Amino acid sequence: MTVDAFIAERRARWAELENAVKHARRGRLRALPASELERFGLLLRHASSDLAIARREFPDAAITEYLNTLCARAHPLLYRGAPLRLSTVTHFYATGLPRAFRAAWTYIVASLGLLALGFLAGWIAIDVRPDLRASLVPPSLFDEMARGHIQANVPDAPFAASFIIQNNIRVALICFAGGVLIGIPTAFVLLSNGWMLGTVAAAVHLGGYDLQFWSLIVPHGVIELSVIVIAGGTGLMLGDAALRPRQLRRGDALAAAARRAVTLAVGAATLLIIAGTLEAFASPSGLPDAVKLTIGTVAGALLYSWLLLAGRVDWMSWRSSASRRAGTATASSRRSASPSALAPNAADPSR
Amino acid sequence: MGTGPPDTLRVQTADNVSLGYSTAGVGSRMAAQLIDSTVALALVFVALVAAGGLVSRASTAQGLAWGAGAAAAFAGFVYFGYFLVYEAVTGGRTLGKRALGLRVVRIDGSAPDVTAILVRDVVRVIDLGLFGVGIVVMFFHPLSRRLGDLAAGTVVVRERSTLSLAAATAPPPVILRTPDAGPPIEGIERLGTSEQNALRVFLSRPGLTPQLRAKLAGDLATRLYERLQLPPQAPERMWPPELLIERLYLQLDMRSR
Repeated sequence: MTVDAFIAERRARWAELENAVKHARRGRLRALPASELERFGLLLRHASSDLAIARREFPDAAITEYLNTLCARAHPLLYRGAPLRLSTVTHFYATGLPRAFRAAWTYIVASLGLLALGFLAGWIAIDVRPDLRASLVPPSLFDEMARGHIQANVPDAPFAASFIIQNNIRVALICFAGGVLIGIPTAFVLLSNGWMLGTVAAAVHLGGYDLQFWSLIVPHGVIELSVIVIAGGTGLMLGDAALRPRQLRRGDALAAAARRAVTLAVGAATLLIIAGTLEAFASPSGLPDAVKLTIGTVAGALLYSWLLLAGRVDWMSWRSSASRRAGTATASSRRSASPSALAPNAADPSR
Repeated sequence: MGTGPPDTLRVQTADNVSLGYSTAGVGSRMAAQLIDSTVALALVFVALVAAGGLVSRASTAQGLAWGAGAAAAFAGFVYFGYFLVYEAVTGGRTLGKRALGLRVVRIDGSAPDVTAILVRDVVRVIDLGLFGVGIVVMFFHPLSRRLGDLAAGTVVVRERSTLSLAAATAPPPVILRTPDAGPPIEGIERLGTSEQNALRVFLSRPGLTPQLRAKLAGDLATRLYERLQLPPQAPERMWPPELLIERLYLQLDMRSR
């Protein structure tokens, strides 16, 4: 076959495909009716097989280059992941995030270990070298202790809240993203945060203001530190994948770990909105210390009962399998059973 | 199929055809980032001015504080949100990328999903924030990927839409010195389309120096003598090689019409 005959025979199909690619709105084929969508797939398969022929028969011809460009533009229109739906997001918070948290528990424990290590180091540093206290801890803290009470200086609560939230989210995201540099920035953030908390806590302990100090930290700190530890865990997970890729190529292992971890990190970071609000409004407020500590305890109990318990039972499949066991094959139970029967993962309650 | 130049991403389609994407370099990537950052910062500015206008209407100090807080929170999320939402909606083509003809694809050639875009955007904190380490990585990576691309499994490719179907399918002009097909050549039935294509490529190649053209024609003619199985005393062997090629081409062309 000559190149002219090759072109003459197939040209109309290529023009049709090119036209469809041009009319894909915002990089999507969403506007196309089903019949045309099917036609698009057919045209793309034809074009890519034409490309294979052209590569072999006419490697230098302009048409080969054209077909490669055409296929390269059409390919991602057809091959793409599932679109984001609101139900995906709500389902993620209900079950996906707690499950991801439990699946990553070893890394999260390691992350907590790094934070604790920084805390201990800071505490010991203050204990061993009291002369360095002034350079390790903000001096205003000692002025406050000399005056008889300590308090966080928060002038405009709403403004402070938005600043705190943004800053903490940035720190959490750095904890995750630092994983790509084998987790070194992640470890640094965890250690330095632990160190700062440790030095201040030790200095306050020497001054004898423990209760006042912890009542300033605990209301928001339970959620805030948990989120930082979780984000740190995701960063360590990435770093581990980059260092020990196991059966995969290094890049593939990193990408796979990042896809698993990013939703956990970002989902956890959204909790910082709650923590930041508490930090600006509840922690520095004039509430009695007992109330503040209770707020922190309740927030922690809610957080960890969600993280440890949610998503352990798939209620949809549990309900349908229970009705099947009961032998009530009524129309309504059959209706409820059908969606889970389509999803093989959800059909088995033991998973 | 060949491996292609080093800055080409090779993607194997489901029907086992390899597509070549040429990847975007550091320069165009940074230019696109500059445009996007400018637009995002302009949006932040507009958001702040608008919020400031609203805040100044607040009558009490309490209202002022709340307004300022809300405005600051909003402005802070506009910058990150610009990249996230824009890329998620357009499948990885922000304003800056569009201006420079760039596009994000996953390493298997598919369009990036929301998870991949989320990873890219979060890791941008490190790529741009930590001494521009991403630019260094991009510089040394054969496919110019930054850390965010490595973590998300994506590549930024150049969108080449310059070659139109009309231009690609217009047959290259065949340069003939004589329109005369000459006497029928013995053994021409032994030649197929591959020989015809080879003749055509030779005849449509402009800009060869006469010496090179003569040498190529000689090589081609030697092969053709064999394929035609010309006897040693055939008159065609006496023709200049370039004349043989032109006559063969014209006769094959007539046959295939």
